[in-house]
Amino acid sequence: MIRGAVQPDAAGWASQARALFLKDVRAELRTRVALSSVGLFTFAALLLIALATRVLKETLTVDLARLPEAVTSEQIRAHMLPAWDDPGKMGLLWVLLIFSAFAGLAHSFVHEEEAGTTLALRLSMAPGAVYAGKLCFNLAVVLCVAAIATPAYVLITGLHTGPIAEFLVLMIAGCLGLGAVATIVAALAAKARGTGGLFGALGLPLLIVFELMLLNAANTLYGGDVTPLQSIKDFGGLISYSVLLIAVSAVTFHFVWEE
Amino acid sequence: MDLTNGRNIASSAPARVPGAWWKYACGALMCYVIYGAFFIADGAAGFGKGGDNARAVFFHVPSAVLSSLCYFIGVVYAGMYLFSSRYNNLETDAKSSIAMELGLLFCTLATITGSIFAGIQWGVFWNWDPRETSIVIMLLLYASYVVLRLALAGRPEVRARLSAVYALVAVVPAQFLIWAVPRLLAGMHPTDTLQTSSGLSLHYKLVLYPAFLAFLLVFVWLFQLRLRAIKLVSRREAVS
Amino acid sequence: MSKQVEIASILPRESAAVSAWDLFVQLDRITHRFGSRTVFEGVTEAAQEGEILVVSGANGSGKSTLLRIIAGLLTPTSGRAIVSAAGTELNGAQRRRLIGYVAPDLVLYRELTGAENLQFFAELHGVRADRAMLVDLLTRVGLRGRGRDAVGGYSSGMRQRLKYAFALLHDPPILLLDEPTANLDTNGVAIVEEIVKAQQMRPGGGLTIVATNEPRELEWSARRVHLGPGA
Repeated sequence: MIRGAVQPDAAGWASQARALFLKDVRAELRTRVALSSVGLFTFAALLLIALATRVLKETLTVDLARLPEAVTSEQIRAHMLPAWDDPGKMGLLWVLLIFSAFAGLAHSFVHEEEAGTTLALRLSMAPGAVYAGKLCFNLAVVLCVAAIATPAYVLITGLHTGPIAEFLVLMIAGCLGLGAVATIVAALAAKARGTGGLFGALGLPLLIVFELMLLNAANTLYGGDVTPLQSIKDFGGLISYSVLLIAVSAVTFHFVWEE
Repeated sequence: MDLTNGRNIASSAPARVPGAWWKYACGALMCYVIYGAFFIADGAAGFGKGGDNARAVFFHVPSAVLSSLCYFIGVVYAGMYLFSSRYNNLETDAKSSIAMELGLLFCTLATITGSIFAGIQWGVFWNWDPRETSIVIMLLLYASYVVLRLALAGRPEVRARLSAVYALVAVVPAQFLIWAVPRLLAGMHPTDTLQTSSGLSLHYKLVLYPAFLAFLLVFVWLFQLRLRAIKLVSRREAVS
Repeated sequence: MSKQVEIASILPRESAAVSAWDLFVQLDRITHRFGSRTVFEGVTEAAQEGEILVVSGANGSGKSTLLRIIAGLLTPTSGRAIVSAAGTELNGAQRRRLIGYVAPDLVLYRELTGAENLQFFAELHGVRADRAMLVDLLTRVGLRGRGRDAVGGYSSGMRQRLKYAFALLHDPPILLLDEPTANLDTNGVAIVEEIVKAQQMRPGGGLTIVATNEPRELEWSARRVHLGPGA
């Protein structure tokens, strides 16, 4: 008779989620499907951005309203500003990160669904644990992508980071929302079996409001005279968006997961 | 088409057509609104072109309000479908989807009328003020709901579940749309171009408030018609 | 957490070879439809601990669907599949814990090795899968020495064997076998018959439900459900 040490209680919810996360990491390190597709996409996109913004980066502009009545060229030069300011650069960075993430994150659920391994998972673990495990994995992928793409983007576009701690909080809060949206949408898209296009069509509309909030936080970040209260409000808004989205997803996930 | 809990749309009693009186009332009211928009309300002061373009308000604002209301109704039905065993049937799903479809319709109407108004008033058809941004995001949310349903055509139970989940998940951006976006964008566009309703004259109230009612009645009517159409299709499928 | 306490309370102690399980599967007028197509209607049957229930029927008669319903993977259109142990009806989490399942559409991870697959699923079940236990299990299904190969490189027969290792990981008292000997050679068939026999004599009690049309497997039990016309 075969018997493993059957422990009196089944594996808890958290340890199931952890096991799934580690399984995904191990499979990912072996096949590198998500990382290589996302990585290549990001690299190509960075190259495109570098080429497309080469001129824009050097363009300067003048706010006419701020100029005195009779202007000398000296005064104009003194009022020159870069046409592409830091909040604008931040906006494009997030467009890049969102599209990169969407290039690879569908994989987590679509792969299980296509390979047919969802049945084995349904037989072995709680739906909530599946959601938690996949969320963790997607967050890890998004954070990896952001960690690699952001420095490269900073080099290419000359984006300033501003206060580094706040910049990091902004980036991490953004990754959290991106991962949260991508996870539930990947689950839906995988069930609908209409992979690539559907994933974007369902996910991007959910992210537009979030992107607006990110841009607003970026405005605050680069605004200069910022009260701590304002940054707390901005980051709080971003994080509460992600937390709410994760909560709704967790409550509804088993309707997607079960047959 | 069968329901998950064994009940059947087709076998339930044919939908009784409710009294037609309120539909006549709706027609009369709509006629009044159209007449009133051009002959009762004066051109509004402060608007260009003698204020005539402000008459778009009577059609634009009710559509915009309805487009939010539809989303609310759709989400309530979606929640009932998922969480109440009593309403866990395809009829609830149909109601949810009809509310969303009508939401898409009214949202589109509101976007078009708003854009025309903006074009005449400010000379640009689109300038990304908070309301314009909100409504175009709303339009996208509705559209992606419809796209999801299209992708799941032919699998009614799965379609019902997944689209209900999507409707509930989209509540999060919709919420932030209502609370956060106007404030965020007001920061970006310091000139608030929106008119507040506190300045409405009596003439305007006399037309605008009936317009809300008329549009609401049109919504209820359309809702019933769509539901009956869906029931007929499902009955035909059950017979064949 | 209350769920886990419940599970704990119905799990027998290692030493308790008593049939404290009192396993019972009851199919209560189960009807299932996909869209407007009725797969089967009013299926009623019961099986007790120590028994084998054989489900037969033509292709498309819903054998796999019935097994999925019993496993709790699918909610029937009407009727109920009651799985109970020690007088308690099992909920979803408890069914996952007490049911082992082998089916043609069960797929394990191709990119992982056989042993890694087993280790992963053991972790999900809260079973400590040490090396000795994995070797034991792989030996039992005739895959000894192949545990380190990626499942993607397995033949279909080897995959079928691995599914048995997957199903037996958590030593489940209830086995649901859909086409139990699909893709298996003579040796494999013998292994399956050995497993089914052992399941009936399992300390703590065992119950097996088999969906098949193989004449040889139909002979495994007199207790049968026939699905489809004439049922």
